[in-house]
Amino acid sequence: MTYPILGIGAVAGIGADPDAIFDSLCAGRSGLAPLRAFDRSRFNAQQLFEIDDRQTDGVDEPGRATRFLVEAIRQAAEDAGLPEDLAGIPVLVGTGLRELRTLELWWRDGVPLDSDGLHFENALRRHFGAIDTHTFAGACSASLYALALAWDLLELGEAETVVVAGCDVVTESMFGQADRVQFDPPSSVRPFDKDRQGTILGEGAAAVVLSRSAPAGRPVRGRLRSVAVNCDAHHQTAPDPDGVEDAVRQAQAQAEVTPADIDLVVLHGTGTPLNDRTEAAVTARVFDGPGPALTGIKSLTGHTSGSAGLLSLIVALCSLDRGLVPPIAGLAEPLPEAAELRLVAGEPLAAPVRLAQINSFGFGGVNAVAIVGGAA
Amino acid sequence: MTLAVTGVAVALPGAADARALLHTARPGADPVDPTALIGRKGLRFKDRATQLGLHLAHAALTDAGVLQDGELTVPSGRLGTVVSSNLGNVDTVCRAVETIAKESTSALSPMDTPNASSNIIASETAIRYGLRGPNLTVCNGRSSGLDAIRWAALMLRTGRADHILVTGVEPDNEVTRRLVDGPVADGGAALVLSRDASTRAKALLGPVLRTARPADTAERLTRQAPGGELWLSTEEHPVPGAARRIALTGWGELSGALGVVQCAAAAGWFAEGHNGPAYALAGAAGAVLLAPERTP
Repeated sequence: MTYPILGIGAVAGIGADPDAIFDSLCAGRSGLAPLRAFDRSRFNAQQLFEIDDRQTDGVDEPGRATRFLVEAIRQAAEDAGLPEDLAGIPVLVGTGLRELRTLELWWRDGVPLDSDGLHFENALRRHFGAIDTHTFAGACSASLYALALAWDLLELGEAETVVVAGCDVVTESMFGQADRVQFDPPSSVRPFDKDRQGTILGEGAAAVVLSRSAPAGRPVRGRLRSVAVNCDAHHQTAPDPDGVEDAVRQAQAQAEVTPADIDLVVLHGTGTPLNDRTEAAVTARVFDGPGPALTGIKSLTGHTSGSAGLLSLIVALCSLDRGLVPPIAGLAEPLPEAAELRLVAGEPLAAPVRLAQINSFGFGGVNAVAIVGGAA
Repeated sequence: MTLAVTGVAVALPGAADARALLHTARPGADPVDPTALIGRKGLRFKDRATQLGLHLAHAALTDAGVLQDGELTVPSGRLGTVVSSNLGNVDTVCRAVETIAKESTSALSPMDTPNASSNIIASETAIRYGLRGPNLTVCNGRSSGLDAIRWAALMLRTGRADHILVTGVEPDNEVTRRLVDGPVADGGAALVLSRDASTRAKALLGPVLRTARPADTAERLTRQAPGGELWLSTEEHPVPGAARRIALTGWGELSGALGVVQCAAAAGWFAEGHNGPAYALAGAAGAVLLAPERTP
């Protein structure tokens, strides 16, 4: 079974829609910049991949995660030709940090908030008339986990169409905790480079409209072939190769494809020593020979947490559509485990892409892997 | 496919099993002490919600027979977990920004780092008990607990797992109290939902649904499974006047734990010999729990 993806939408530091984001990735434009709204005297690290949308420089605003989420859903719904009112359509949102940034501003600065403001239900009802809305807090694979649940709704015939989204802004608590344990903050994110030093958080939102069938005559963005989810049950921050491999193999089995069928993998690629090594080793194990083209987007978008998986999936759909794979920016010399892999570096790779795999691994060993094919 | 509740656990002050939920909460009861059930090991740097979640997980998995003497009796990859908690880590988050503002990040505890992520309860539960199936955290407000049941049921029906531990838990602390403007229930409940409606069934799961309004949800529940006599609902309004209603408000705000505690209470109701359907209503989400099929 495959399900058509009728529409896509996204916002990130490097672009206000999927095309702009894809163009920035191909052109090597980065969203990394000095901290915009946190007090710089309080942190060792001084850079983040933020979306530059605040009214006043240096002054933070509540509700930004919701703002980005609403924009991504608006784009995806419009792209899919859905009505403005989404009353009959479930909306599933994966997020790492919900509106916890607003919670921080409430506790510290007295910005108004009640407990319902932590999740997205009221905003989605207000903006889209959506009733059946869900906030899943699943760390960095949250949006692909939400996609898996959307798949299940379609599979059981409990919905005809589902909107799936992911969003996150950077919270001071998460950035602060990372700052506490990272004495020497990385100056950039360099996935799969032997000199990578770690990851830097980013902000973004992404959304897709998934359906049981495409309306006659409407073009589709691609077809979802499978989404596999599991958990390492191993360690909070150290990924387990066996768990990751299981998720990849499950996704391929459910999609009824072999490794040789995959033309492109959009890697999770956080730029941390451990994650990249594990992901490279598993990828080398799963794919024999030269294997598919491999890329990742976090050197230019930052680690966008809850939206990361869906953002990667949208980039994969753009690659399917354009026959172009953006390179991994900042990759000079691959880590040893990736020496034999076809990591795309330097320039975009022009090549037909028929089938793409998207990896997404979260804090706590929460893994999700999706496979998408072209519209045909 | 009939899904069964095969394991039930309750941890609230003064209420340690499903039947206790049928009675009024005892004021001034001692807080739940997770170390009494699962020992001190590994709990030191966990936040309160995670400690309570680990306690509930142990009790529910044991009750379902899938955990015996610390070992799983079913394949770990077929056992998943879904946690419902709206307020679980808000104290960690607020404490961190306070510390950063007063001093700097150097004053933060590195041990708090995992607790800054909202899925900490689910991931710690998986790590401690080796649950390698799907691992989901639902933070969806008032309906969160019943939503968690619904997503667990969906993943069981599509074959992503054979058993799913569903935990609803909230912590009581200064931040959560201020956020909900009142006392918060310090604990919750956990269930194991299973594909196989085996002899261990304590309840069967009927329809789980959501509409635009609680009254519409109540109407659909009674239409789809008529003849029930028990309503588990905080609100009086959508419940028929003659029906027996249990509000479960005595422990403070249950928030994300509510729906799971309601389902546990239904299991307690069946354990006391009742046979008709029980209806759970949280926000505009609803669920029907059915008495287990008893072999004569």
